[in-house]
Formats: sequence, structure tokens, C-alpha cells
Amino acid sequence: MDAHGIAASVLTNINGIFYKDTQAANQELYDEINTSRKWKDRLIPFAVINPVYSGWKEDLKISTTRLGMKGVRIFPKYHRYTLDHPECIELVKMVRDMGLPIGLTLRMVDSRPSSWLDITDEWKLSDIMPLVEAVPDAKFMVLNVAGSTQLEKEQVELLKKTDLFIDTSGRNIINLGEMLKTFGKDKFGFGTHSPILDYRTGALRIAALREDEADAATKADLQAGNIIRFLGL
Amino acid sequence: MGFSGKEKPIKENDLLKEVMKYRKIDSHAHVYFTDDSPQTQLDFADRLGIEKMVISRPMAPGSKGLPEEFIACNDLIIGVVSKFPDRFIGQPTINPAYPKEAMEEIKRCMDHGMCGLKLYNHVKLSDPLFYPIIEKYIDMKMIILMHVGIGKSRVIFDAREPENVSTPEDFVIAAERYPEAMFQLAHLGGGGDWLDACKAVRPYPNVYVDVSGSNNEADIIPFALEYVGEDRMFFGCDNSFYQGVGHVLAADLTESQRKKLFFENYNNILKMSGNHVDR
Repeated sequence: MDAHGIAASVLTNINGIFYKDTQAANQELYDEINTSRKWKDRLIPFAVINPVYSGWKEDLKISTTRLGMKGVRIFPKYHRYTLDHPECIELVKMVRDMGLPIGLTLRMVDSRPSSWLDITDEWKLSDIMPLVEAVPDAKFMVLNVAGSTQLEKEQVELLKKTDLFIDTSGRNIINLGEMLKTFGKDKFGFGTHSPILDYRTGALRIAALREDEADAATKADLQAGNIIRFLGL
Repeated sequence: MGFSGKEKPIKENDLLKEVMKYRKIDSHAHVYFTDDSPQTQLDFADRLGIEKMVISRPMAPGSKGLPEEFIACNDLIIGVVSKFPDRFIGQPTINPAYPKEAMEEIKRCMDHGMCGLKLYNHVKLSDPLFYPIIEKYIDMKMIILMHVGIGKSRVIFDAREPENVSTPEDFVIAAERYPEAMFQLAHLGGGGDWLDACKAVRPYPNVYVDVSGSNNEADIIPFALEYVGEDRMFFGCDNSFYQGVGHVLAADLTESQRKKLFFENYNNILKMSGNHVDR
């Protein structure tokens, strides 16, 4: 972070994907951050919650209170449930009622060269729409937009109205200038998907915007302002 | 360094200044049979300070690879380079299954000032059909860029790949048979198993790798640096411009290594045939 001028990072414990009990990963993240005051100032933790695993409501409560998690990320493909699973929708509604965001990662790794032990399916942007349609007043973070961003006109309109933050790390953030026009300048912000992806590409997509695509104030919002507002920091 | 709503936004765009510091040759670039090409590619290149793009138009995957197909692809390149000679270096494509036509096409393309060779997935690089082509390129002191298939990391090769797509092992066979030839293993970030590829070609100094592709995994360049070395790596985008530039900048490289990747290594290859930038 220091090498690349990153003031703060929103992060989860990747072990939350692999542990059967995701709360162990959330506790690990909390413990790690609390080893030093300097981490607390710069690391913004999100919990991983698996809504088809027993005790998840208690996990959510502990994570968002005692552990101070600022949002929740879910990994349905790894945890083997679908976005329309009733418990998933219930989780999103509970997180909404807490005023916190739900993070949806379109893919963790490129499935082409990934390990044979990894999952093979990735999401397109349209794949998350059923959840947005089910809980349209939730706050959504859409991360690592690697798959197609092709949407129906109605879906675009819904996303424009949604409290939404899309990060710039994904490979299909190809023409950010056009995407700002389509979805709104307040919907995007810097992201890296680090340490899996490199630390510069997400920033470069913002830096390379021309003045007629994003003025200095918009770039500042993309770098930090939008996520500050979105998370209420 | 804290983080709060009171913090002042960064006003100066230092990252873009850093990007523009380096001269760049995109060693793996394409233009398309579309109305927006090559303007779209030039627009990305302008944003990121990419001075030269080595362009080709491979035949469509699954096509028959007939002479009329590769001739049409090369005509596109000839036309684009003639319009923007300062920005593009043209690279022909051929199908060695048509030996006479392929050789004639190479000559035609060289007469139009093209350089190197781009191959796709119609015939494996290790196939004897390529022997006369490789020998021709040894004589011309030019590099051969070959596409690499994807999905080997899952042990069973990706079902979408055609039978004759090249794998890193095909580079090994060709490099062993022709140590004086120069091969460019395509797009480490292109969806192939880049770890496997780097390990396979490590012992062959005549095999270079380009780091282009949409998969900008943070470990690709450090791994290639360790296994292939800083003198055998080329910057490239393969139409994924931000990833191409971004992961070079993100890697823990020295100034000298950045310059080698972005510009010098590929320019040195071009120099062998007298086609280098600033000649």
C-alpha cells in the first residue's frame, strides 16, 4: 500500500472462502488488524458470511458489532448456493437493515489458468441482477468485474437507481469513461483485487481518463471520494 | 498516513506521469476488421504512451486457414500500417499447410515492410510443416510469435481449444531443433498456464515471452523474471491495454528492467533485421 500510495484498503480474509466456518476467518482478520493501531487506521474489514451454514446470523451479529466489520462479502459459488437462495436473500436484507454493503466478487481468479482444485464458473454482471432485483434497496459492492457487462436496458436503469459501488480492478472495465456515462460517476471507484491482481491496473484506468471524461474532482471521487461516501467513512 | 473524509484528494496525477516516462513497444497487438479499428487501439495507445504497436490480424479460430484468408488478414495490416506508419509495425500471418502460398505471402508482406510472423492455432509450432518457415525466419533474423492455448493447468486441456493449438512443449521442440531461431511465446496473461509456460521454456534462450493479456495476476512478471529472465521478456497488451502497462508498473522492477521490458528488449530483436525504432 505504501509503495503505491494507497491510504486505506477494504479487505476480507481470503480464508473465508475456504474455511467451512467462515467466522474463524473473520476472527483471524480482526485479530490481525488489532495487532497494531496503525492497521486499524488503514484496513477496513469486511466479514465473510455463508448464509447456508449454521450460526450465520450470530456470526453476522458478532462480525458487525464486536469485530467492527464495515460490510459483508459473500461467495456463493465457493459456498455452493445460488443468489436466489432464501437464506442469501435474508442475509442481504439483514445487512441492508444494518446500513452496510454486500460485496459480490464476479470472480476471484481467472478460471482459465487457475488450479484444477478451484471452481470453473465465473459471473457476468447480469448474473448478480436477480439479487439486486430481490433487494433493490440494499447497498452493493460489485468487485473484479471480469465478466461481460452486457445488461438489458431495464437492468441498467435498476443499477443506476441502486446504491452501488463498482471497483476498477476487473478486466471488463475497458472503457471507464463510457461506463461513467452509463451508470453514473458516483458508482465507481479505485480497486485492485490485490494480492491476486496487480496493484496498478485499477488505478491506471482512472488515471488515463481524459478531462472530458472525468475532471479533477471526478477523478478524486473515483480515487477515494466515492468509497468514502459509500461506506460512510 | 491515515484515511478519513477530511483527507485531501490527490490532485497531481503522478501515476500517468510515471507511465509516460517510458518508451513502449507493444510486442503483441492487433487490429480488427471493424469500423472502429485502428482508432480504438490508437486511442488506448495514446492514453498510455505506447509509441509503437506490432500488429497482426490472425485468421479466425476454427477457420480453414486458406490462403485467401491469410492474404485478407495481411492486406488489412498493410492498409493500416500505410496509414499510420509511425505507430504500427506490421506482422504477417500465414498457414504452413499451404507451403507455396505461405512463402509467397511472406515475401509479399516483407516487400510491404512487414516484420516478424504471427501464428495462431491452425498448425502446431513443432509441426514439420513449419520447418521451412522457421528456416526462412532464421535467415531474415526475425522473431516468430506463436499463440499459446489455454487451460492446461486443469490437466485436461481446455475443450474449447482446437487440436492444433500450440502448447509450451511445442516451443521446446521447435527451440531445440532450431536454437538459432527466435520464438515469442504469446501472452503470459492470455489465459494460459503462465507458470507452466515459464518453467517449460526456461532452458531455451531463443524463446522469449510476452506479458500481454487480460489476466494481470500480480505474480506473472515476478515469476517470469525468475524463470525466463529480464532479457527475454517483452511488454505487450494483446488489446488489454491497462493490464499490459499496469502489471509492469506494479512489479518490483528496477528502472533498467522496466526499460528493457517496455522497449529495449523488443527493439533489440527488431534491430537484428534492421527494423528497429529510431533507426
